[in-house]
Amino acid sequence: MAEEKSILAVFSDIDPAADAIEQLRLLGVHDDCMNVISGIPVTEAMLGRPSQWTNVPRLALGGAAAGFLVGLFLAFITPNMYTISVGGQPFTPVPPAVIVLFEMTMLGMLISTFVGVFFDSLFPNYRPMHYVPEISDGKIAILIECLPPDEQKVRDVLKQLGAESVEEAEAQHL
Amino acid sequence: MADRKHHTSHEEHLREQRLMLDPMPRGKMNEMVMEAMHTTSWKFWLVFGLLAAIVAYALFYKWGVMILEGLGVAGVNRPSYWGIFLVNTVFWIGISHAGTFISAILRVFKAEFRRPFTRAAELMTTFGLVQAGFSIFMHMGRVWLSYWLMPIPNQRQLWPNFHSPLSWDLLAITTYLLSSTMYLFLPLIPDLAMARDRTPDGTWQKVFYRTLALGFRGTEGEWTHLRNALNIFAFAIIPVMFSVHTIVSWDFAMATRPGWSSTIFGPYFVIGALHSGMGAVVMVLAVVRGTMKNMKYFIRPEHFEAIGKLMLIISMAWAYFFFNDYIVQWYGGDKWTKELLHWHEAGPMGWMWFAMLIFNVAIPWATLWNKKWRSTPWLIFIVGMLINVGMWFERYIIVPISLTINRMPFTWRLYQPGIEVWLGIGTLAFFILLYMTASKLIPLIPVWEVQEGQMAHSLKKYGRETVVTVSELE
Repeated sequence: MAEEKSILAVFSDIDPAADAIEQLRLLGVHDDCMNVISGIPVTEAMLGRPSQWTNVPRLALGGAAAGFLVGLFLAFITPNMYTISVGGQPFTPVPPAVIVLFEMTMLGMLISTFVGVFFDSLFPNYRPMHYVPEISDGKIAILIECLPPDEQKVRDVLKQLGAESVEEAEAQHL
Repeated sequence: MADRKHHTSHEEHLREQRLMLDPMPRGKMNEMVMEAMHTTSWKFWLVFGLLAAIVAYALFYKWGVMILEGLGVAGVNRPSYWGIFLVNTVFWIGISHAGTFISAILRVFKAEFRRPFTRAAELMTTFGLVQAGFSIFMHMGRVWLSYWLMPIPNQRQLWPNFHSPLSWDLLAITTYLLSSTMYLFLPLIPDLAMARDRTPDGTWQKVFYRTLALGFRGTEGEWTHLRNALNIFAFAIIPVMFSVHTIVSWDFAMATRPGWSSTIFGPYFVIGALHSGMGAVVMVLAVVRGTMKNMKYFIRPEHFEAIGKLMLIISMAWAYFFFNDYIVQWYGGDKWTKELLHWHEAGPMGWMWFAMLIFNVAIPWATLWNKKWRSTPWLIFIVGMLINVGMWFERYIIVPISLTINRMPFTWRLYQPGIEVWLGIGTLAFFILLYMTASKLIPLIPVWEVQEGQMAHSLKKYGRETVVTVSELE
């Protein structure tokens, strides 16, 4: 089986990039074989791309649950681990426990949200990658994986639709 | 013909006024931000050196002296055991509220003017909390035992008492410090990637930006994860912010002391925190705009104007909570509370009570209704500074002055600060020093957020009027 080629096309604006994605799809390039790289968050709807999956909200929820459990431990278990009875005072009162539960739940949620970005984006990643620095200057790049027989057709479409450059993508250290 | 000219000049005027209507190519904006980071004059290094010397002497040397000599060198003594240490703790936590308010609340409400200065405000949150932490650790005296506060079993097999407001404080401040640092870092990643791309190979800066940018390229997946995370943070950090200063207020309100035991202390403290925080934000923005290259393009009079309106509203809210707290205590008629209220106004520190009201209420009300005053950076800088002085006075009145009057008159003694004055100056210098260092290492302007905002804004004609329209891109 022939090895897939990676092509990086750089556009100066969203509209030609969105048109190019549509044309590539008509050429038979599957959505999974395309990736858009941009210097600002361009939504999937603007580019006519399928929605991206993210685990971040689920991880946040999981982290909140874990934080809540830690809060339960701190508020209700630790007083029993070394008992100090103070006359007339409840041993594990609920109102102060609410504060501990709230703080630990929020901390768990926010830490797991943060870690979720790392987890989903595979950060940190210092391996060579397909990229051109012009992207952070506002350009939009489409990274296409295609088979060698389709390469010329893909290049032609991209050029026709106003790509500023169409190059074979080379992985490089950022 | 004349009508068309009028419209063109109106459009030009709008573009001049509003950053969001005055777009530049992204590459140019990146260049301007990088230039602002890399341009340093001798004046910068002079101030930097001076502050470093103050930090070395006032913060670390004096703290060392206090550790060696003991807390006796500080002025805290019966009955005012919580002196300037706690005044500064509350003050710095208050300053830290501005970042979250601007970045999270204004993000949730899609207030577009926030875009160029969210990071400048978020930095204040993190660095303000560092100073608050320092103030607490100083007050501990035996700071090397501070780990006893952590919920880990220590050698005495004791756990902290989580029924105590001081333990809640530890949890709340830790949660807020960690959350606000993460919230500062996440939207910074794309700008660190931009800095990485514009920094030549073989320099330490390249290694620094490459490491911190984590390999970010801006793929669809990366943006989706980042956007989701920022939304979660924006909503979740708001109650955390409210909880922090509410819990700080409970350090006082949970005690059945005259002047402290108040059910309204929570929101009163939160609004006070926002008051000083917003005042500090305009001060920082005025200095950044006035001293850093290219910042006049990003930070414009419209931003000061918008923050000025918020400051005025917050000042009114502060006055409302202050009066509510005051009138209920005054009307209650408790002997010691009456004594304390009289002491606030007519005691030897009464000037501070009146100055607090002048700086926090009279001056903002007298000036901020005026658009010209709000939009002029140096004028609003003065108001912000006076508000911060007023809010520091407020905390001084709540902590050592209120502690003077209690139900045991034989213990009454006016607090005379000692070494803690130096330590307070040290934290202020350290805050500014950290900020100056950060301004040279990380892009202070979130360029991608500015560009996103500029894409969303346009001018549209309705009849004969040209108006600003905003599209929801997020």
